[in-house]
Amino acid sequence: MKNLTGAKIVIESLIQENVKVIFGYPGGAVLPIYDELFKQKKIRHILVRHEQAAVHAAEGYARSTGKVGVVLVTSGPGATNTVTGLTDAMMDSVPVVCLSGQVPTHMIGNDAFQEADIVGITRPCTKHNYLVKDVTKLAGAIHSAFFIAKNGRPGPVLVDIPKDIQTFKAIYKGKRLTKKISYYKPSLEPAVDDIDKMTKFLSDSKKPIFYIGGGVINSGSKASVELFKLMKKTGFPCTQTLMGLGAFPMSDKQFLGMLGMHGTYEANMAMYNCDLMICVGARFDDRITGKVSGFSPNSKKIHLDIDASSFNKSVNVDLTVKGDLFKILKLVNDKISKTNITFKNSKYTKWWNQIDKWRARNCLKYKQSKKLIKPQYALQRLNSLTKDLNPFITTEVGQHQMWAAQFIEFNKPKHWMTSGGLGTMGYGLPAALGVQIAHPKDLVIDVAGEASILMNIQEMSTIKQYRLPVKVFILNNNYMGMVRQWQELLHGNRLSESYMESLPDFVKLAESFGATGLRVEKPGDVDDAVKEMINIKGAVICDVVVDPNENCFPMIPSGSTHNQMLLGPNDKVEGEISEEGMVLV
Amino acid sequence: MNEKNTKHILSIMVDNEPGVLARVVGLFSGRGYNIESLSVSEVDSHKFLSRVTIVTSGTKLIVDQIKAQLGKLIPVHNLVDISELDSFIGKELILVKLNVKNKKKPDLKEKLKKFGAVILLESNHEFIVQYAGTPEEITKLVKLLKNTKIIEQTRSGLVSMATGTDYIKK
Repeated sequence: MKNLTGAKIVIESLIQENVKVIFGYPGGAVLPIYDELFKQKKIRHILVRHEQAAVHAAEGYARSTGKVGVVLVTSGPGATNTVTGLTDAMMDSVPVVCLSGQVPTHMIGNDAFQEADIVGITRPCTKHNYLVKDVTKLAGAIHSAFFIAKNGRPGPVLVDIPKDIQTFKAIYKGKRLTKKISYYKPSLEPAVDDIDKMTKFLSDSKKPIFYIGGGVINSGSKASVELFKLMKKTGFPCTQTLMGLGAFPMSDKQFLGMLGMHGTYEANMAMYNCDLMICVGARFDDRITGKVSGFSPNSKKIHLDIDASSFNKSVNVDLTVKGDLFKILKLVNDKISKTNITFKNSKYTKWWNQIDKWRARNCLKYKQSKKLIKPQYALQRLNSLTKDLNPFITTEVGQHQMWAAQFIEFNKPKHWMTSGGLGTMGYGLPAALGVQIAHPKDLVIDVAGEASILMNIQEMSTIKQYRLPVKVFILNNNYMGMVRQWQELLHGNRLSESYMESLPDFVKLAESFGATGLRVEKPGDVDDAVKEMINIKGAVICDVVVDPNENCFPMIPSGSTHNQMLLGPNDKVEGEISEEGMVLV
Repeated sequence: MNEKNTKHILSIMVDNEPGVLARVVGLFSGRGYNIESLSVSEVDSHKFLSRVTIVTSGTKLIVDQIKAQLGKLIPVHNLVDISELDSFIGKELILVKLNVKNKKKPDLKEKLKKFGAVILLESNHEFIVQYAGTPEEITKLVKLLKNTKIIEQTRSGLVSMATGTDYIKK
């Protein structure tokens, strides 16, 4: 039994949780913890340049490894700067533990220097949070934070530690949870009844589709293996959400492409026309459903999820199966094997023929140009030239993100990091650095837009400090492309504030941070630039000047249904967008 | 989707710790749910547990979502939708301060006694009346007093429990 200061207890608890890396930024209210960090060698601290980036980096680290990402920041502005990151982690179910310093307990509530009620502020954007006012409860709070962050549906947890608590002493008794947490046991085992019902639904259907989400990735690679088995047993088609890409290999013929607002024609049409939809760890988000009242009107729906609050939230389903996806999928596979249920190809021939007709529309086609680089072309070349290296891809938010989802192929889980739920511009660069820290030898590429990249561009400095070979692939179209696209389609082409004036010279910017800058302007030069980028050992910013007017298709306009897609620039929105549709985001 | 709104009484057992009420109330305001009444107090001083009773309303879809969201809060131990059980009791408490002239006192005392209300305090011109009953009974009492000058009144939220063996676990 060791009598330790609070600061030492923090370090000791992190070591017990097997934490190797933390992302942080020091300040007055966490100095005792930074002092303890200085005295030890087990935990590596990565100094970011802004606390929001610390959380995104921790998210990238967590999503590419399956471990908990850890953040350390000071009180007040240090803590409030993490709010966007924490909300992002909350929306995308990423396990993150954020430790924040706080003014000493006797000054809380006095509007002290660098005081913010961060527990109050982050209550709705964390899975749980703690304010530790008693040093004997510090270790319990930290261990409970890790437990909560990774168990059940993962999410961010914040632990706020006043400065005096960091200096008081207590006995550290090892990895113990707080007493109160002992009843928090998210149930992982599905009901056997539900498994039986589900297999019956599967064998009864004629036009089935699997709709796969990020929950499969969160459940671990074993879940992907079971999913693959089930896909092969049934031979059913599947689609994946933005968060789910890579849970099932995208190169497989059973994969119809991503679904939703910028999903493929075949995926959305199959969702609309199916007679059975099996939702595996997705949540019927509004980007997926379009107009809810017209969403897949004639299908039975099964929903598998670990979180009961995801059931019947926006879409009513016929069967819910609650539990860990790996366990559910394994039980279903076992049941199918035991009962010798077969899924004869002939039963689904008609369905597959229909799907092939939709596929033949080749909805991702675009007009190639000899003069201008099409963003789709740049990404297709990036994909072809890097796929053997099995790269980790992160993105910012906007058109480039949707094109990356459409044109880059992920055949393994945990290689695709993007801000799905919150849609945080500025996510990609810090996330990429977090991924690179976790996978120092692998190729990590941030597919970015010239607008998004500027939101956390300061992280180039972090990348320089730790000599991280992160590649930034900017599709530079001089616009906030997605904003401009909506203004074109829905607001009479009045391009209000969406033109990116006064952009930096990205080549010089890269050089000023000790990285290599490349600029490509002609389609013929794309291949060489990509090859050069991946051959350079250090960080690279590759500024790809693309067609400024290209729009992202297919697109389901707001307030429309899956069968009302726009497939290209020549498709017009039918009639006026309804008032109901106009107010949707 | 055009389902009817129905009223629900949710009884929630929570850790009595700082911020727990903010978590519950914040969930309702943040997600746009109704709170018609709220009452909370510690019920177990050894285990530090409080019992929260919330009266809310919504479609089945919404109420199920409220329950699932509440169930996700870490300090929530247990939750029962009392209004879905076979039989339950729900009571509120009201205190009313009345301005009463001396000559009217005997008549009013008689009326209140008959109704089951208790006069807690009687001074020259004032009665303070206490009554516990269902929300409907309390409305009746207020009606009964319509010809009396009510100086002020305060009502608690509903507290409720099921009859028989359907009790909330800790």
